[in-house]
Amino acid sequence: MRVELEKISKSFGPVQANRAISLAFEPGLIYGLLGENGAGKSTLMKILSGYQPADSGRILLDGAPQRFRSPLDALAAGVGMLYQDPLDLPPFTVLENYLLGRRGGLAIPRRRAAGELRELGARYGFEVHPHERIEDLSLGERQQLELLRLLSGGARLLILDEPTTGISAAQKELLFNSLRSLARDEGKTLILVSHKLDEVQELCNRAYVLRKGELAGEAELPCPNKRLVGLMFGQLPSRPARPRPEAGPPRLELRGAAVRSPRLRTQPTDLQVGAGEVLGLAGLEGSGQELLLRACAGLLPLAAGELYLSGVPQRRLDYLTARQLGVHYLAAGRLEEGLVSGMTLSEHMALVNPNGLFVDRAASKAQAAERIRQYQVVARPRSRVEELSGGNQQRFLFGLLPPDAQLILAEHPTRGLDLRSSDWIWGQLDERRKQGAAIVFLSAELDEILERSDRIAVFFAGRLSRVLPAGETSVDELGHLIGGGA
Amino acid sequence: MFKMKVSFVSAVLLTLALLLAACAPAGSGAQPPAAGDDSLVIGLVLVGPRNDRGWSQAHYEGGQFVEANLAGLQVIVFESLNPADKPEATLAGVVADMVAQGAQLIITTSDEFEEDTTTVAASHPDVVFINVSGDDALTGEAPPNLGNIMGRMEDMKAIAGCAAALNTQTGHLGYLGPLVNHETVRLTASAYLGARHCYETYRGEDPDTLQFDVTWIGFWFNIPGVTLDPTEVANNFFDTGVDVLLSGIDTTEAIDVAGQRAAADEAVLAVPYDYLHACDSSPAFCLGVPFFSWGPAYLAAAESVARGQWEQSWAWYGANWDALTDPAQTTVGWVDGEGLQGQAAADLHDFIAKLASGEVDLWAGPIVLSDGTVYVPAGQSATDEQIWYLPSLLQGMGESR
Amino acid sequence: MSRPAWLPRLWPLLPSFVALLLTSLLLLAFGASPPLAFGAIWEGAFGNQDRLLTTVAFWIPLMLSSLGLLISFRAGLWNIGIEGQFILGAIGASWVALSLQLPAPLQISLQMLAAMAAGALWAGLAGVLKRWGVHEIFGGLALNNLAIILTNYLIAGPWQPPEGGSFRGTAPFHADALLPLVGATRFSVVALGLALLAFGLVVLALRNSAWGLRLKALGRNPRSALLLGVSSRRETLLAMAFCGALAGLGGAVRVLSWFDSLRQSISGGIGYLALMVVILAAFRLLWTPLVAFFFAAVLSGSVVLQLRTQLHSSLGNILTGVLVLLVLLFGNLDSLRAWWAEWRAGRRRS
Repeated sequence: MRVELEKISKSFGPVQANRAISLAFEPGLIYGLLGENGAGKSTLMKILSGYQPADSGRILLDGAPQRFRSPLDALAAGVGMLYQDPLDLPPFTVLENYLLGRRGGLAIPRRRAAGELRELGARYGFEVHPHERIEDLSLGERQQLELLRLLSGGARLLILDEPTTGISAAQKELLFNSLRSLARDEGKTLILVSHKLDEVQELCNRAYVLRKGELAGEAELPCPNKRLVGLMFGQLPSRPARPRPEAGPPRLELRGAAVRSPRLRTQPTDLQVGAGEVLGLAGLEGSGQELLLRACAGLLPLAAGELYLSGVPQRRLDYLTARQLGVHYLAAGRLEEGLVSGMTLSEHMALVNPNGLFVDRAASKAQAAERIRQYQVVARPRSRVEELSGGNQQRFLFGLLPPDAQLILAEHPTRGLDLRSSDWIWGQLDERRKQGAAIVFLSAELDEILERSDRIAVFFAGRLSRVLPAGETSVDELGHLIGGGA
Repeated sequence: MFKMKVSFVSAVLLTLALLLAACAPAGSGAQPPAAGDDSLVIGLVLVGPRNDRGWSQAHYEGGQFVEANLAGLQVIVFESLNPADKPEATLAGVVADMVAQGAQLIITTSDEFEEDTTTVAASHPDVVFINVSGDDALTGEAPPNLGNIMGRMEDMKAIAGCAAALNTQTGHLGYLGPLVNHETVRLTASAYLGARHCYETYRGEDPDTLQFDVTWIGFWFNIPGVTLDPTEVANNFFDTGVDVLLSGIDTTEAIDVAGQRAAADEAVLAVPYDYLHACDSSPAFCLGVPFFSWGPAYLAAAESVARGQWEQSWAWYGANWDALTDPAQTTVGWVDGEGLQGQAAADLHDFIAKLASGEVDLWAGPIVLSDGTVYVPAGQSATDEQIWYLPSLLQGMGESR
Repeated sequence: MSRPAWLPRLWPLLPSFVALLLTSLLLLAFGASPPLAFGAIWEGAFGNQDRLLTTVAFWIPLMLSSLGLLISFRAGLWNIGIEGQFILGAIGASWVALSLQLPAPLQISLQMLAAMAAGALWAGLAGVLKRWGVHEIFGGLALNNLAIILTNYLIAGPWQPPEGGSFRGTAPFHADALLPLVGATRFSVVALGLALLAFGLVVLALRNSAWGLRLKALGRNPRSALLLGVSSRRETLLAMAFCGALAGLGGAVRVLSWFDSLRQSISGGIGYLALMVVILAAFRLLWTPLVAFFFAAVLSGSVVLQLRTQLHSSLGNILTGVLVLLVLLFGNLDSLRAWWAEWRAGRRRS
């Protein structure tokens, strides 16, 4: 299917996300859509997939103009989008999710659908268990399921938004093979929205690069990374090397700590993090590092063992108590756990900095404006947080951290962010570290862990398998370790 | 999450809205008022719906009887005036609106309204008020424009009790009681006295072996969540050995449940209450019904108001024994049901004849209260006031609520 | 896009209009004239001073309960137990009225405080149950039934009138316990003052207080709210208690002015009615008193409607029921917001 976008524009409040963007996509090819955070990639793709309407401009499929009222509408026309966070319903089973949103009669032929689903999975090389619950699946598995749902719904154009974020290397390989065959053998049009240049180079035939809501340029792939980066940023970011000081007094200590979830019980873990230290947690998704990180903040109870904050033992720690002690948790889903949709930046400021019984609107607005400036957030104090791009949401979340944070626990601190935003975020974390905070983070990006950590804790199958100084290992060794190697 | 909850609770509230909207049974057709200037307007306030086949319907039909028998008279009705059905309405407001529509006689047809009627009557001195079943005109609490009417149902209840005793196989009678007050206590006791008498006289059994259990549901009719569910209570009676169930409540659950269970070949019978046609839902299993017929009493009151000759009174109308089945001639009456047959029917009519002639006096002492105190000593007979103010059930009756 | 842009502007007038239309058809089916019927409702609600004051008197407890619900809804709570909280308020006020005899101002203040405490306590119970994993809807419903049972026990047992328990209610309270009424109506200036005060308080709490902001965060996203330092336990309990206190106040107004004693069905569903009011008002502050007043007027007016037309006695309930049903059919607030935003964006461009 040939897809054309004609002069698409869209703004959110004061922020112009897309400015008269025109693009064309040919069948049988894989396109990369590149751009730093806030460049307008997600907005454009949400418009193309019927998730939100454009302010102006046209969408043409095989030359015919379209009006999508909903993603279901778009899918009926052959456009399917795979979101970074799959739009499935966690309490339901795989099969139920597959059946949801399908047009057709009320009677649901469950058995036939289950067979269909397995068959479809086999065709694209995915293993599907129709009766498993969504909440028990990994992100990668949910993504595969979503992909199958789109394909069975008749998608001829597939849009994938950061599909490799948060999935394992094996899952990524599987995904890429399927995508290649979809384009080559079935003539589908594919758009990969990503900021990972290597992946785009590896998979795509052609790249479009957006910058600040406009089309910055295009390139046949492969081409030198330098050219793409140039288009994305206009300039290459530089990474200052930072000195690695000695760790101070312990901020966090685990002794034989274990956490239980429905899917996993972690082995007893001993771990110590000192003031001014950055500890990276490496491991395949679901290896136990997420559970442990949450337990450190009191967001999950410890099933066994002891937890010390700044040397003080904590029993039945809850997050509000932890927060009083200077522990702050930054979750990966910014709008799910972190910011409150529907509330403005000013309101968030007033929420975390209560100023007596009543809200001092002027003061919270001023504070918000100050954070906006200081943390380079593209927004206004009265913008609602959901109007911000992912990167700006993350910047603002950092802006909400109080200056006296003792221990910062972060999930994927730079997930979905471009290089410059990532650098900036790490610059902020470094500032906190220098002020004496300990930082524990987990990330799916091995090079991020290698580059940013002082020490690395490697998790495999619910067990802390190794703690090693970041300077003494490599991507290869780390990859070997998180895969269960000794 | 909130959104999912919204849709879920939307469904809950939708159901609620539907329930509220559909609560009351369907009413009858419209009768736009067309009152002439000089015609008498009567306001009739009902505690339940006008078609409850019980207490309120008997009053409603009494109003219709007056309308049919007095030319140029119009009756306006307000039904279901109780705080559960109409939290927004008050007796004072309804009366004010009735007066605004020209009502010169207002009949409040429940003891629920007794207290409020006294107050409201005082603020409308030019309008005649009649509170059914109250005693304010007797005690002197009533303003001069307020009278009371009640039917002497006690005799009919005795007939009902007798009919039940003549037909029980298990020797176990049940009584579906509304709430506890003087009226319900004396009526329930009357049924028991009638039952004892006939159990002994006609069946030759020891009356002390007759089991007579009363369950008070808490109100005149079922209010879900507030009262006991009379359907459940009735079923419970039949489940525990009762084979004849007497009703003391405004509505027809006793006969309905008996009909259902009899249809399943259980040997059960019932005696409904209040309304002439109360047997209609299951006539074959109905022993008869003690009924109120308010028409004659209302007609007398309306005529005296129309003539300007109304005087305050506390009227306790007895049965017209010669026309016991004719609603046009008696205020309280008894009609046999199809379930009453053979010897039992003959015995019952013998009993009725003896009651009418005064040969049988059920209220002759000794009358012993449930706590063992002698209320009326042997050799005496209870006075009207003693009967009216009977303080509790009698010895031998079982009671639960 | 394709949705008519004028729709959100007319909210909630549009469903009201459709409800009017449907009810008219219903009236026609009964053979009654709609203008006559609506005229009767109008006259019943506002026909003369007494009727207007009666409508207001019914509105006050309904309004107090609705205001309470604004608070609990803001925190994302479905406080269906408001009916029971209302009843407990009535019981609390009755308890003081029956056991103390003080100068009127003191007596009435104490009764109001007791009512608010009782309502808050009952609501707090639902909040505690929620913490133990009982959803507030189910906990609330159970507590509603308990409140009714408690009323029945009290009026038939310990608080029965001297002439004997009749299940109807307690004996009338002494004169100093009752709110002073205007003329022959059930309207009390004190109650109106309290309702207006409560309105101001709720506006202040939701619009300007830090607490209101915490409730908003909690209601919109409890997980984010936790990470931003909002205690869901504490705020849930507080929001419930606040709501319960206002509902309890409504219950007190009901026993101390509408009635003069604790009655069997003291609320008669005012709590459930308040839920409908708040939903119809789309949880908005300024619409809530208006919608509550509309409900009060329709119900109050339907008394005259019944007398005039001798029609179905619950026509007023049908009208309000149809209204809420339509509001639900017209979709929830979020989709409206989206339409609204779209419409505004469209206007700015052109």
